[in-house]
Parts: sequence; structure tokens; C-alpha cells
Amino acid sequence: MHSLAQKRRQFIFLALMIPTALLVAFVAVPGADLIRMSFTNWDGQSAASRFIGLDNYVSMFRNKDLWLSLKNNAIYFLVHLCMIPVELAFAVLLNSKLRAAKFYKTMVFMPYIINGVAISYAFSYFFSPVNGAFDAILKALHLSPLIRNWLSDPAIANYVLASVSLWRFSGYHVVLFLAALQSVPQDIQEAAEIDGANTLQIFRHIQVPQIMLMVDFVLFDNVRGALQVFDIPFVMTQGGPGFATSTFTLYTINTAFKYSNFGLASTMAVAIMVMIILVYVVQNEIIHGLILKDKR
Amino acid sequence: MKKAAVTQIFKQAVCIAMVLVVLAPILLTLFAALKTRADMVNTSPLLLPAHVTFANFRKVLGNKYLWIGFRNTIAILAVSVFFNVLLGAVTAYIIERFQFRFRSVVVALFFAGMLIPSFVTEIARFKIIKGIHLYNTLGAPIIIYIAADLMQLYIYRQFISALPVSLDESALLDGCSYWGLFARIIFPLLAPATATVVIIKSITIINDMYIPYLYMPANRLRTLTTFLMDYANAQQGSWQNLAAGIIIIMLPTILLYVLFQRYILAGITAGAVKG
Repeated sequence: MHSLAQKRRQFIFLALMIPTALLVAFVAVPGADLIRMSFTNWDGQSAASRFIGLDNYVSMFRNKDLWLSLKNNAIYFLVHLCMIPVELAFAVLLNSKLRAAKFYKTMVFMPYIINGVAISYAFSYFFSPVNGAFDAILKALHLSPLIRNWLSDPAIANYVLASVSLWRFSGYHVVLFLAALQSVPQDIQEAAEIDGANTLQIFRHIQVPQIMLMVDFVLFDNVRGALQVFDIPFVMTQGGPGFATSTFTLYTINTAFKYSNFGLASTMAVAIMVMIILVYVVQNEIIHGLILKDKR
Repeated sequence: MKKAAVTQIFKQAVCIAMVLVVLAPILLTLFAALKTRADMVNTSPLLLPAHVTFANFRKVLGNKYLWIGFRNTIAILAVSVFFNVLLGAVTAYIIERFQFRFRSVVVALFFAGMLIPSFVTEIARFKIIKGIHLYNTLGAPIIIYIAADLMQLYIYRQFISALPVSLDESALLDGCSYWGLFARIIFPLLAPATATVVIIKSITIINDMYIPYLYMPANRLRTLTTFLMDYANAQQGSWQNLAAGIIIIMLPTILLYVLFQRYILAGITAGAVKG
């Protein structure tokens, strides 16, 4: 007869064995391998790969197109960042006395669950230069002079793509903020109202501090998402014209699978991981250290 | 009184504007799907044609790769979700309920797994998948979805932490084995969390482009999403045909959303609130 302690240990070991093994094999090992490969010149096919030290890192830093792509990532990041206060405001709106609030909540979140490839093609049609729907809307509003080559003009294409990203993900942020707002205790808000606080004051001094956890999460998610933008430019413009709408991840993936340089691509992948951490830390410092001064 | 009415009107206007922005690209694509080639040139993209046609939809529905894609997507979904639920529930249960020697290592491992950037990991994972001969098989996406997508842990952990520990204790006192405890008592109680995980995972997998695109180039292994990509590349210039394809591919997840919205929203917020 096994003791209870032994049975317990057996259970834990056997039950965790498969998920942990899968995690190690398919997540941890590739993660570590990325770092190892960044020091080699593997091409993805041959059995042999040569250790080439820091050569990949040097050529990565010298690659102008890659860092131009990063500039495009910054556009997604900033466009989304500017939208976050709007999303927050909209969540406050949905949380207030509003008729059909449930319906609006359903609608605002819907873009998030829609097939990304399908909607990317839909927007390609929307912004099409020949008889496109967006151009038709502008004409109907007598704003024809504003018509541009939305997806092929290097000066504005990234902003157009970033707005597609906004369409897809703003609703997700709104719903997260709404959930955070709804977890704020009612009695505190009511006491403040009785004491004469107006909507803006309640927002600033009661609601915002309570939802900072969620705001932090959304801010982190923005950093992570912006540095990994891939499918929208991949489907809509393939990073073109040239590299005008390319992103860091798109360039990295092409380096591996199109140009068969897995070593160099791994170096770029390592760079992405480092950048996510760096940008997040800097952002956290700015927001909590300088602006809010509430560093814990 | 008047101020309240004006405020309400303003709020409604903002919300209606939002609804229009959400619906516009979808509706306008639907309009295109109902037009003939001539209609596309002659009518404004903002209007339906005088006579709608379903020829474009018939064309897409007659494409055998759509149905191949549908079948493959369902197959991948069924197997992946089944194991995600099973393994996710038991992993979350053990992490949440048990103290053991390597617990912190295991927890750290799973957390670190979520931090690794998604798309570029495939550069390293590609080698492993090829090495175990799963490249160009349905096994590749299945094993990746089971091993790497860990959001179900959040949902299950939150749910399990709400179950009273006395439940475990009384069952064990009654002579129940740990396996029996999990299978017959804990897991059934997790039903709402399981429903949420199933639905959210289904949406994620149906919508995934990258993993099927990378690991299953063969035509017989098309998924709904990679089918649409092929279809789009074949429709150069023929927006009305592509529009029908777009609408059809959008339907499954929209349907899931309409039916199970409550679960989806609960799961999404649970995944984000690290309690």
C-alpha cells in the first residue's frame, strides 16, 4: 500500500509530465536555440552549420532596411498609444448610464474575433485605388481632394495599415478597460458623488487608480504587439512597396524562410526579445516614475 | 433634465458612429460579393446592385478546397482543443492546489513560455517539427497548439482558486484517489471554464494564418484561412469573387461569437487580469 504522500507525488509527476515535456520541447528548447543559432550561419537546410561568433550581430546592426522596418513598428506603437486614452474614455462611456450598452459592447468587441486574413483582404478592397469604398465615401462627403494611394504611397501606407490594426484591436482594449472599471467598488464612487465630485474628478481620482493594473497590461500588450506586427502588412502589402510597409518581424521571417538565413534571422529574433523588455521598462519608468509618480 | 437628455444623445451618437465603423468594411465586402463584374464597375461600392446575385457565393462553395479546408480546420481544432482542455485543466489544478519541490520552477517555465515572441519562435521550432517528421502533416499545428498556447492556464487557475479546498479533502478522506478526485469531482465543476476555453481556442485556431501557412504547404492540407489566401492570389482583380470568399470565411467565428459571446468575453478578461 502506498502512503498518501507517495500517491500524491505520483499524481503530480505523472500529470505534469506531458504538458511540461511538451513545453520544454516546443517552447523552451526553441527559445534557447534561437539564441544559439544567432551565433551560427545555418541556412535551414544543410546538416552542418558554422559558429561565426558575432558576425550576425554586426551585419544586423549594419542592415539599413531592417531598422527602417523598425520605424514602421514605431508607427503602429504610437498610433495605438494615442488611441488608448480614447479606448479608456469609450469604456467609461459604456460603463455609464447608456441605453443599449450591451449591444454596443457586443459591437465594439466583434472586430477582435473576425478572421484576420479575411478582414485584411476586406480592407484591401476598402482602400482599393480603383473604385474603392473609402474613396467613394470621401467623394460622397465632398472630400475628394483627400484621396490618395492609401496602400502604395510610402508616406501614408503605414498609417493606413496601423488604422486597420486599430480597427481590429481597439475593441479588445475597450472590453478589458470595461471589465476593470466594473470591478471598481460602487460605494466609493457613490460616496464621491454625494460629496459633489463631477464625472471627470471621479474618473481621475477614483476610477483611474483602480484600473491602473489593467492599463499597465494594455500598455505592455501594446509594446509586445507593436514589435511583432506581422499579418496585416504580410497579407495586405507584403511589406511593399519595397520595404515601405515592412515590419521588423516581417523582415525577420523573410530572412529565415525566403532568404534561407536562419542564423541571421535568429539574431533579429533575439533583438526583438531584447527590445520588448527595453521598451517596456522605459515605458514603465516614464509612466509610473515621471508622470504618475506612484512607483511601488 | 435637459442636460441629461443632451448627454444621452451625444453618447448615442458616438456609439452609433462606432457601430458604423465596425460594420462598414464587412457590409461593403458583402455588397461586393452580391455584385456581378458589371455591377462592380457600374454601381457605387457603397450601394447594393439593382439585382443581387449569388453566383459568387456559389462559385466559392463549389470550390473543393473550401471543404478540404473546412475538414482540416475541424480536425485540427477537435484534437487540439481536446488536449488543451485536459492538459490545461490538470496543470492548472496542480499548480494552483499543490505545493511541491519544483513548483516554482514549473510555474516560471510556463510563464516564461508566454513571454517568448510568437512569430519568430518558428525560426527555431521549424527545425524540431521537421526533425520529428511532422512537417506537412496535420500533426504540426496540433502539437504546436497543444504545447505552446497557454492562455487556458489563466482561465482554469482563476476558476480553480474559487473551488473550496474542503472538496478535495473530503474526497481524499473518503478514500478517493487523486486521479478520481480530479476526474470525477474537480473537472466536472470546471465546466463553465472549459466552455470558455473551448470557444476561445476554437476562434484562435480557426483564425490562425501563420502556423498552417508555414507548416502545411500541401494543397490537401489547406485550412479555412490558408484556403482564403490561395483563393485571393487566384482572383487577381476580381474583387466580387474574393468578397464572397471573405464573407464565407468570416462566418464561422462570427457565428461562434453570436452564440457564445458571454463565454468569450469572460475568458478574454480572465486571461488579462492576473489576479
